[in-house]
Amino acid sequence: MFHGKVIDISDDKISIDKAQLFITSEKCGASLFFVGTVRNHNNNKNVTGITYDSHDSMVEKSFLEIYEEAIKKLTVEHPVVFIEHAKGYIALGGISIVIAVACKHRAQAFELSRYIIEEIKKRTPIWKKEHYDNEKSSWLKGNVIIDNKE
Amino acid sequence: MKIKIELFGAAKDFSDERYLEIELTKKINIKELKEKLIKLLKDRYPENMNYSKIVETSAFCNENDQIVQENYLISEDQKLCIIPPVGGG
Repeated sequence: MFHGKVIDISDDKISIDKAQLFITSEKCGASLFFVGTVRNHNNNKNVTGITYDSHDSMVEKSFLEIYEEAIKKLTVEHPVVFIEHAKGYIALGGISIVIAVACKHRAQAFELSRYIIEEIKKRTPIWKKEHYDNEKSSWLKGNVIIDNKE
Repeated sequence: MKIKIELFGAAKDFSDERYLEIELTKKINIKELKEKLIKLLKDRYPENMNYSKIVETSAFCNENDQIVQENYLISEDQKLCIIPPVGGG
């Protein structure tokens, strides 16, 4: 089972309760929540918040691809995955991403969760603009997208 | 012919609008579009060399959300998106 969505925080919010409800399954003995939040420093600068930009349809397509790839590559039983990523301005401490996974065993849940977040970082079209206490802001350098499907 | 490029991430700084419109006199591919875009940005913002680097390291996707290769031939009135290097989470 899979759920993957971009949440525009101007009209909705990321909810861990919603994630928990989605992944709850009697077949699974392990549930794991990865929660990404905005921290107050990066590269020796004082961060006050982050604006996330996203190509929504590509992001949701990418989440599904990563999920399908993960369950093919990894040995996971009864996987249930919930991914939501924020779009818009998030203040310090605010949630930018939730990846909730449930599997039969804990080792599988850890492996699956780690795989998903690392792949999202590498290839999902989401961008961060950091805002600093000196009122400046800058887009963070990211990973170059290379399409190797053709 | 005219093409529309939707701007994302760092490329949003290229314009106050959501899209950049480029007038083309002949059919070109993505590699040539990048060169054209770099020239346009150099003319418009000569002080900001970083914009060229953003274009050089960006991918482009078509209306079907597919990343297109450098030899992809752009069709008339096509809408593309520029996808600068990514980093969510």
